[in-house]
Amino acid sequence: MSFDPVVRLADVTRVHGDGPQAVPALRGVSLDVVAGELVAVMGPSGSGKSTLLNLAGGLDAPTSGEVTVEGAPLSGLSARELAALRRRHVGYVFQDLNLIPSLTAAENVMLPRELDGVRARQARSEAAEILAEIGITEPGRFPDELSGGQRQRVAIARALVGERRLILADEPTGALDTPTGDDVLRLLRTRCDAGAAVLLVTHEPRYAAWADRVVFLRDGEIADSTAAPLESAR
Amino acid sequence: MAIRQGLLALLSQGPRYGYQLRSEFEASTGAIWPLNIGQVYTTLSRLERDGLVAPGEQDAQGRVVYTITEAGRAEMERWLSTPVARSDRPRDELVVKLAMAVAAGADPRPVIRAQRTATMRALQELTRAMAGAEGPAQRLVLDSMIFQAEAEQRWLDHCEAVLAASPRTQETPEATRSPEPGSGPSPDEEF
Ligand SMILES: Nc1ncnc2c1ncn2[C@@H]1O[C@H](COP(=O)(O)OP(=O)(O)OP(=O)(O)O)[C@@H](O)[C@H]1O
Ligand SMILES: [Mg+2]
Repeated sequence: MSFDPVVRLADVTRVHGDGPQAVPALRGVSLDVVAGELVAVMGPSGSGKSTLLNLAGGLDAPTSGEVTVEGAPLSGLSARELAALRRRHVGYVFQDLNLIPSLTAAENVMLPRELDGVRARQARSEAAEILAEIGITEPGRFPDELSGGQRQRVAIARALVGERRLILADEPTGALDTPTGDDVLRLLRTRCDAGAAVLLVTHEPRYAAWADRVVFLRDGEIADSTAAPLESAR
Repeated sequence: MAIRQGLLALLSQGPRYGYQLRSEFEASTGAIWPLNIGQVYTTLSRLERDGLVAPGEQDAQGRVVYTITEAGRAEMERWLSTPVARSDRPRDELVVKLAMAVAAGADPRPVIRAQRTATMRALQELTRAMAGAEGPAQRLVLDSMIFQAEAEQRWLDHCEAVLAASPRTQETPEATRSPEPGSGPSPDEEF
């Protein structure tokens, strides 16, 4: 386990809008996630959880402060370099899933790998493998032919395919019953133990408890945190 | 306490020695409920007095095998089919503590935050224990503890949100003072 963080947020602030309408979504947040570490972010609605995740993944830029991914300060990257870094290193599960409706489950999962430049054949077999791992038995179905829980699992498979070093998951267990939600966490935990850094947003204590560290956000600030991991490996 | 019925349930699987009952009881509950051997023998002699178990002959080592009787089976089935009343469970100290903090005019939010972090740590430990759990009975017990800790977390989140929305517990000193001296905020209004 390396102690260089895979992602580092240093005194990060994000204000949405300006003037009287300005909303400070994050206020001076500092957070490191190292390889092999699963960090859960909890907090009430509107406390800045999704904002934090978007900043950590370079989907949004901070108003002040710096985000560093794999040693690269994001503010120093061109749009092109940023896109390449996101594609290669980061896997996302969005709160609203964002599956492409005109692609099948398998094609949705293949897409990021094809963007990585992997050949279609290999991308297809990787997709089949991870979809099987996550319990999707009908990879040829389109998103609107799947249940909410199945769609959720496809979105997770898409984030995990390829060797992503940083996995960002915003409420990945939203539409799942508890045994299936536990399966998702088991899968994230496995990726983590294999060396990925995982940042998980959840409002469910049950899933946050799989993390090495739980951070509580309130009004855009870190209010509390459970201690650093007792033992990093288990 | 359900030691009586727990022992009957184990005996319904066949005759057993006292020490076997103790280790099986602990294995099934994941050792969250440790029994000492004295408790087991006291309970067995009461069960014998009530005609729910029957002891066999002592063997060479002085050990006695216990067998469940028909009345014992009936008792076990009655127990399994009767829901547990919520009022039979002990009062929760945390609930009392929070209610008292509010009643005493103290700020309950630090209590909530400290508890939430502590309960989350406990929940993390339970989740780790689950990974090493052996057998469905142990998993079921851990699951129950996980759901209870989870419910407590949700309740704490709820309390925090409700208190934040209530003007009387806002951060300003003006608002924390009760309107009439001597009439502290009633828990009813706060929760
Ligand atoms: N694009 C935006 N423009 C203006 N305000 C925004 C924007 N995105 C988020 N906000 C505001 O920033 C704050 C934090 O939002 P964020 O989405 O990070 O919350 P959250 O913790 O993820 O909430 P939830 O649990 O409801 O998903 C909120 O007050 C929100 O209204
Ligand atoms: Mg959100």
